[in-house]
Amino acid sequence: MTVTGVERRRDVITVAIGTALAVLMGVVLAAGIRQATRLHAEIAALQTASSLQNYPEDIARELDTLRERLEIRAYSGRALADLRATVSRFDASLRATTAGDVLDAADLARTQRLWHQYDPVLAPVLAFHGQPYADSDTSGSTLSREGRAHFAQVKRAQLFAAVHAKALQDHLVLGVRRLQASASAAAAQLRALLLAGVLAALVLAAAAAYLQITRARDQRAAREAEERTRDILKTVREGFFLLDRDNRIGSVWSEALTRMFNRGDFAGLSFEDLLRDLVPATTLATAVKYVNLLWGDRAHENLMKSINPLGQLEVTAEDGRGGTETRYLQFDFHRVVGPKGVRHVLCAVGDVTSSVLLARELQESQQSANAQLDMMVGMMRTDPVQLASFLDSADAGLKHVNAILKEPARTDTEFRRKPGSIMRELHSLKGEAAALDLQSIADRLHALEDLVGNCQAKATLSGDDFLPVVVKLDELLAYLRGVREMASRISVSPQSEAVPAGDVLAATLQTMAAQLARDHAKRFTLNTAGLGGVPPQYARTLKDCLIQLVRNAAVHGIEAPEVRSRCAKSDVGRVSAEFRAAGANYELIFEDDGAGIAPEALKETALRRNLITAAEASSMDMRGAMALMFRPGFSTADGASRDAGRGVGMDVIARNVYALGGRIGVSTNPGKFTRFKITLPAVEAAGSSAVA
Amino acid sequence: MWGASANKGRGAPPAGAAAPRAPIKMLIVDDSNIVRRRIERSQQFDNLVVIGSAANGVEALEIFAKTDPDVVTMDLTMPMMDGIECIGRMVAKRPSVRILVISALADKATAVEAMERGANGFLNKPFTDRQLNEAIEELIR
Repeated sequence: MTVTGVERRRDVITVAIGTALAVLMGVVLAAGIRQATRLHAEIAALQTASSLQNYPEDIARELDTLRERLEIRAYSGRALADLRATVSRFDASLRATTAGDVLDAADLARTQRLWHQYDPVLAPVLAFHGQPYADSDTSGSTLSREGRAHFAQVKRAQLFAAVHAKALQDHLVLGVRRLQASASAAAAQLRALLLAGVLAALVLAAAAAYLQITRARDQRAAREAEERTRDILKTVREGFFLLDRDNRIGSVWSEALTRMFNRGDFAGLSFEDLLRDLVPATTLATAVKYVNLLWGDRAHENLMKSINPLGQLEVTAEDGRGGTETRYLQFDFHRVVGPKGVRHVLCAVGDVTSSVLLARELQESQQSANAQLDMMVGMMRTDPVQLASFLDSADAGLKHVNAILKEPARTDTEFRRKPGSIMRELHSLKGEAAALDLQSIADRLHALEDLVGNCQAKATLSGDDFLPVVVKLDELLAYLRGVREMASRISVSPQSEAVPAGDVLAATLQTMAAQLARDHAKRFTLNTAGLGGVPPQYARTLKDCLIQLVRNAAVHGIEAPEVRSRCAKSDVGRVSAEFRAAGANYELIFEDDGAGIAPEALKETALRRNLITAAEASSMDMRGAMALMFRPGFSTADGASRDAGRGVGMDVIARNVYALGGRIGVSTNPGKFTRFKITLPAVEAAGSSAVA
Repeated sequence: MWGASANKGRGAPPAGAAAPRAPIKMLIVDDSNIVRRRIERSQQFDNLVVIGSAANGVEALEIFAKTDPDVVTMDLTMPMMDGIECIGRMVAKRPSVRILVISALADKATAVEAMERGANGFLNKPFTDRQLNEAIEELIR
């Protein structure tokens, strides 16, 4: 607006100066022409006047000649004719002078007066016609009577001319001088005018040159400004464009729009067409209504900003690789107001995808940070060596689960084998996590178990049913990697190499026992012995066994303190685990002084779980009843909690022990004790038996 | 003389020079009694007179026709006739009326729709006294 104002003013000044100079030139030229005309007239007058000034002398001379001719009685006709011609010419010239206004009026008047005085003396002379001489033989040629009179007139005229010719001539000379002076003044004026004209032309040329230079400079500045604007529009990260009254995009827009909208034909494009393929129809309708409202005078800027429906627009577009990508665009609208209301609507488009995603990530990372904090608290309470040991076994266990999932399977039966094996693996890991009070990991394992449980519950199984398990398993593996990294960062230096594995296991069991006692309001001591002597090949299996057995003892075996008091037992129960070599074999003796196992209770539970029929139950002996507890799906606690009741615990033990070529024996005395005896073959034998 | 008595007879405030500023008549439309009272009590303008309140669009239009208010606060979700339609009818009847939408509907499309029908302002529920007064001031300025 300001720029055009300045330009307009400059144009007005240019035109004014140009006009003034042109008018000046015109005036100078007109004056010059007038002056030249006058000069021309004066030169003509000067010629006329110059010719006049010799006439009086000529007349006087010719009168002299005429008198001389008459005196010597010579032929006077010629002289008289000359005189007549001269007088007539002079008279005509003088008359012309009078008519042409050549001489100064006063000069002319005096000249005419003098000339009029000539008239009476000259007229008789000129009027003479005839022969002035009378020839006689006697006296020769004499003047005739008319001749004498003529001679007298000539003498008078000659005398008059001798006296007055000078005065008349002087008058004429004076007039001519005046004329000369006037003509030379006119010439000087003309010269001055021409000079002025030349000067004016020079000024005009200079002004034109100056304006041309100024204009060129302005144009250069305008061009540079335009280039700068273009550079800004090319490099700025935001998309900018102006909407005109028809909601069409103007010719100026920033390059960033090309990237945002994957097109380049913005000039003249309507706002509606710009968004048409990117947003749902309802959003488009709202957006168009909104932009139309911007043109009205009803809504003020802040209100319009607060109801902007395009503050965070989700747009889906092809990513150029055959897929689609979702981006978030933020449209800001500003009204450009001129003296006659809203002139344009400026629209600024920003790609806020990264900040939207960042906000989302932030939210997620906050959640995960909270979980990590929980985890960290758990880890700090955990013995570093136990933690490292747990992480190792968790890694191995989950890899095993992964291997089970990857095992090729086609039939329903083949698929149906998977959940059971996975459950057992997960359950044992969960037990370990719970033993170490790693709540967050135990929860995740529990969630994974639920997913596997869902698979088990399905009527038919296919590979797709395991997909959620696979996803969750990957998450868990990633989480455990994070835990391992965190453990190393909070300088939980794994010194497992230095500490014997048996001590680690003993410590794990102690931690677990303490926690179980706390959770179940039981009181008992756990004594371990000989765990350092477990051969590495058996470490994993025995660890699982011990965890399961400790849990069973704490949950089912050891009675609540008040129950123990009533039974005249010590308040504090005793649980012991001893590993020892027995001949060529190994033995693990696990014993608690708790409630023991009632075979009838086992039978009832098995009936309830539909593991056996009533007939089988009644015919089942003590040994058979005891074996029930190792069947898959058997559980003696109702409902599933983190540490008992899932019903896969004891069968995990049995399977693993059998797999190593071992045996499990149970002896119990209801109300007194329960004793498990696990016998494992010598290490070399274990290898061959496992193969067999 | 008779002009004065006529005014006294009708009980209407004398128009023109006698009143320093003509009072602005406000109608409150909201289906919640609590919100209506809240708006009435919270507004702090000396020259604003609440001339009525309505609990739905139909009632609002009746009072609107009778009292010819200058300013209307309008809820959007109401029984019988919703606020959007009510705005349209009021503006059609009297284009100079100024309407402040006070709604819990936070979606921008509704706000744009209301503005398009002729609303002049938009206030989200819940609102503070200060927000209410600022929104009203924006409206009557």
